[in-house]
Amino acid sequence: MLSLSIKTALPGFSLDVTWEAGEKVVALFGPSGAGKTLTLQSLAGLVRPDQGRIVVAGRVFFDSARGINVRPQERRLGYVFQGYALFPHLSVEDNVGYGLRALARGARHRRVAEVMDRLGLGGQARRRPRELSGGQQQRVALGRALAVDPGLLLLDEPLSALDAPLRRLLREELMQIVSEWGVPTVLVTHDLTEAFQLAERIVIYDDGRVVQAAPKSELLSRPASAQVARLLGVRNILDGTVLKATPEIIQLRWRGYTLEAINSPSRGWLPPPGTPVVFFIRPEYVRLIRKDRPGPDPTHYMNRMEGRVVGQVDQGATWALSFAVDGAAPHAREAYDLEIEVPRLVHEMLEIGREHRWAISMHRGSIHVLPHA
Amino acid sequence: MPDLFPVWLSLRVAGLATLLTLAIGLPLAWALARRRFPGRDLLEAAVVLPLVLPPTVLGYYLLLLIARRGPVGRAFDAAGIELAFTWRAAVLAACVGSIALLIKAAQAGFESVDERLEQAARTLGRSEWGIFWSISLPLAWRSVVAGTVLAFCRALGDFGITLMVAGSIPGLTQTLPLAIYDHVQQNRMAEANALALLAVAGVTVLLMGLGRLARLRF
Repeated sequence: MLSLSIKTALPGFSLDVTWEAGEKVVALFGPSGAGKTLTLQSLAGLVRPDQGRIVVAGRVFFDSARGINVRPQERRLGYVFQGYALFPHLSVEDNVGYGLRALARGARHRRVAEVMDRLGLGGQARRRPRELSGGQQQRVALGRALAVDPGLLLLDEPLSALDAPLRRLLREELMQIVSEWGVPTVLVTHDLTEAFQLAERIVIYDDGRVVQAAPKSELLSRPASAQVARLLGVRNILDGTVLKATPEIIQLRWRGYTLEAINSPSRGWLPPPGTPVVFFIRPEYVRLIRKDRPGPDPTHYMNRMEGRVVGQVDQGATWALSFAVDGAAPHAREAYDLEIEVPRLVHEMLEIGREHRWAISMHRGSIHVLPHA
Repeated sequence: MPDLFPVWLSLRVAGLATLLTLAIGLPLAWALARRRFPGRDLLEAAVVLPLVLPPTVLGYYLLLLIARRGPVGRAFDAAGIELAFTWRAAVLAACVGSIALLIKAAQAGFESVDERLEQAARTLGRSEWGIFWSISLPLAWRSVVAGTVLAFCRALGDFGITLMVAGSIPGLTQTLPLAIYDHVQQNRMAEANALALLAVAGVTVLLMGLGRLARLRF
C-alpha cells in the first residue's frame, strides 16, 4: 500500500499530486515534464518536497507536518534510473553487489551469484557495463536494485532509450522479472503501451497534477475528462450538446444529427438539456455502411450519418480515413469531422480508394460521453 | 656543480604542500561541485583569488597570519612550533599558490560525474563518505590527478609568496627558484643554468606523464 501527497514548487513548474495504490504495479503515465520523475525522486528521498506526506507499506518516509524525512539510504527502495545509471568503473558483479556492503563477504558473494543467476547474467560477472547489450544492462540495473531486497521497486522510463523492436522484447522481459520477483513497483512512463502492459493501476499526470488515477481497465472506456482522453491518445474527441439524458441513454446534438449514446451506469450522470458535453468514439468503431446492404429499414443502423472521405493514409495493416459529415452546421476547425480506421482488406474490398461518398453508423455503446472538464 | 640542497628542499616542500592541498582542496572541490550552501559564490571566487593576486600580496597576508603574533602563528607558537621563516612557511606558501589549480580541476571532474550515479548509490544504502570514495573520486580521478600534477608543478616553482613568508635562507628555506635568483644576482651563471635546466626537464617529464594519463581509459 502506497499513499503519497506532495507539493513542490520549482522555478516555472509546480508539482501538486495526491494518489494511493494498493496494486502490485502502478504506472505514472503522462507527457514529458509532467512531474512523474520528480514524484519518483521524492518517493526515493532524492528530492525533498516542500510539503506533504509519503507512506509506503505503513512506513512514513516523509511527513512535513511532523518533520519526518527518512534518508534515501534508509528507505530501502530499488531505483532503476532512466538510462540505468550503472557504475561504469565497476564490473557487473560489483554493480549488483554495491548495495550489499552490510553483508559479510561470503554472504555477499552468494547473494550476488544468486541474483545474477536468476537474471541470466551468469557469464557476465567480470565485464564492464559498457561491454553489455541494452538488454543485459537493463538486467544489471534491475539486479542491482533487487539485490538489496527492496520494499518497493521504482522504474524510471526503463525502456525509453531503446529502439522499437528491442523495446518490445525488453518490455516482455521486464514484465516477467517484475512479476517473478513480486516486488511492488512504481513505473514512470510516457508510453501508453508500456503502462498498459506492465501496470494494473495507472495514474495520469499532466503539468504537475494528477488528472486521473484508476485501474487500467477503467481508463480507456471511462476517461474522467476530455483532457485525460487526449493524454491517452484518444482520437475523435467531439463537442456536442445534450438533448435528453436518462439513466440509460444520453441523446446528443452534433453536426445537425441526433446521436444516442449509452449512459454510463456507474456515473448516473443526468445533465440537463442544452449542456455542452464532450464525447468520443474510437476510429476503429465507426462502421461504414455498404451500399448493397442498406439494412432492412432506415432505423436499422444506429446513429446513421452521411458524408465524404476527404483524406486517407496507408498505415500498413490499416487505413486511416478522414471523414467529413454532411450537415447544416459549418465545419469548426478542421476540414473533417471524424477519423475512421479500417483494416486493409476491408479498404480493398470496399474500394474506398475510388468511392468517396459513404454512410456511416456508430453503435451507441461505443460512444463515450464525458463530463465537461 | 651547484649545491643541490635547494632541489631536495623544493621537492620536499612541493610534496608536502601537495598533500596539504589535496587534504583541503578535495573536500572544497567536492562541496563546490555538489552542494548548495550560503556563501558558495563567495567561496568560489575566493578559491581563484590566489591565481590572480600578486604573490607579494598573498605573501603579505599569509605572513600576517603565521607571524608569531598572528592568529595562526600564535597557536602554533604555543605548541612550540615556529612557522614564519622556516621550511613550514615555504610549504604553506606553495600550498596557497597552487591550491586553486587543484580545486578548479577537481571541481570540474566532480561536476562531470553523472549525479544519478551518486543518487543510485544513495538509494542502495551507501553513506555519503562511502559514495565519495567508491563513486565520485574514482570517476573524477583523471581530473584530480591532472590537478594534482599541475598543483605540484606550481608548488615547485613558487617564488614570491615563499620569499615573503620563508625568506631565502641558504640551507634552510632557499628553494630552487630562490636559489636560481640568488645565483643570478651573484653572477654565478653556470649554477643558475644547471638548476634552471633541471627545473625545466623535471616539470616537462611530469607534464608528459600527464599527457599520457589523459589518453588512458579505465
